[in-house]
Amino acid sequence: MRSADRRAASRRLPPALLAAGLALALAGCGGMADDLFPSGKDLSGGAAGTTGPAVGQTAPDFTLAAAAGGEVTLSGALAGRRGAILYFTMWCDICDRHMSDMERELFAAFPDVRFLALDYVSGSAPDAAMAELNAGWADRGFTTLVDVGAVQARYFKTYMAVVVLDRDRVVRYRGEYLPADVRAALEAMPPVAP
Amino acid sequence: MQVPKGYLGVLDLGFDAERYDGYWDGSGRHLDDPAGSSLAQYRLNLAGGWRFSKDWQVSLLLPMVHNDSRYTGLTSRSTGVGDTTVTVLYDAHDERSIWKVLSAADLLPSVKVGGALTVPTGLSQYDDVDLSFDVTGRGFYRLDATAQVDKTFRGLAASLSLAYGVHLPRPINRLYGAPVTPTTKRLGNKATAALSLGYRLFIGSAGDALTLTGALSWMHEASTVQAGERLPESTVNKPAFSTTLLWSSTDHDWSARVAWAHTLQRDGWGTSFPTTDIVSLGVKYAIR
Repeated sequence: MRSADRRAASRRLPPALLAAGLALALAGCGGMADDLFPSGKDLSGGAAGTTGPAVGQTAPDFTLAAAAGGEVTLSGALAGRRGAILYFTMWCDICDRHMSDMERELFAAFPDVRFLALDYVSGSAPDAAMAELNAGWADRGFTTLVDVGAVQARYFKTYMAVVVLDRDRVVRYRGEYLPADVRAALEAMPPVAP
Repeated sequence: MQVPKGYLGVLDLGFDAERYDGYWDGSGRHLDDPAGSSLAQYRLNLAGGWRFSKDWQVSLLLPMVHNDSRYTGLTSRSTGVGDTTVTVLYDAHDERSIWKVLSAADLLPSVKVGGALTVPTGLSQYDDVDLSFDVTGRGFYRLDATAQVDKTFRGLAASLSLAYGVHLPRPINRLYGAPVTPTTKRLGNKATAALSLGYRLFIGSAGDALTLTGALSWMHEASTVQAGERLPESTVNKPAFSTTLLWSSTDHDWSARVAWAHTLQRDGWGTSFPTTDIVSLGVKYAIR
């Protein structure tokens, strides 16, 4: 190959490599299209009266170990309450932000709502109690339940997110913690008569 | 990654090993991860740059990401493409001399300005991914304006890098694979700054050089806005210290580097962000 040809070939090389890299990025992972071309289509609808995780469906009446000892059944936790918030926590910085905001904005405003923190990482009641203590959440208003693969993974598939249930276990909200939306869901539920 | 003046392009292969160890909460208090946790991310960074005119260059960075996470009861490993970045730079001003100062103009630094587009080619929490530990990208397009000022004098080199990025809003209809009520979300604007100081030492008689650089960087991301609502305590601040040792060949065609970046695990040194240590290795070849 002549020197001029080599020079020309080397000049074509960098853009070719760049294009190859971009093609690899675009073709290398099947699920990425959701982020490249995001959709706002509603996928969450569920039929009212059926058991399921979608808004309008009824949550199953699960029973989980409590970090403080004993067990908590969802229907028992809801007895005499306006409803409940399930917050799926791994005691991370985002969890702390969300829980702190709920403590500040919702605890006093909704004293008839049960706040349940479902720890899906600790694996046992003693470990969950230790994680709760280390994260600074002992005795601050959340009832911590131990949930390894039980409710979170099999049912709600929700991480660091919140589910609002009314007294009949009907799902009123499920998603990322949005203070205004969570508050609206709570306000839409009738309060407990004094 | 930049293409030096007078070169046609560069190819760069880098490897980062990032270990997560605790985090700052929203008030700046540093907290440990739960006992038994071990969170790490490894990135193989493929990059290429092309100087398509005397003062203009374009580069592409494509990371391959491997997550290796053990978080008390959960263990997870995942591998995938990360978010891709395309950068365009313009040489607004070139340094005149690095060895002698004969006039005031010789004191002027080189200045590069440009823009970068981050494309969400990674898997984010809004994709079909089950665990937060398995994400390889953030899920948002981002446009950055960048500026870099460099000044070298003999063996000394100082650099200031600035960037300001705007995340584009997007619709969201699921979270970790589960459908959620559709909404729109926009991550906050992101500002980064880095100040570095280095010293180059020539080794041997052939002109190979070792450069030791220390840098202080700072990153700030404003609050996330979702459905028109500013999310509480989503503002992020992360300062970091780093040091890099770089070897470069006599003709500067080849270089290799090792670096370590560290965040201080103390109260008040950051907010709402994990504290990490990053060890990086890399090799670069410049094409004439």
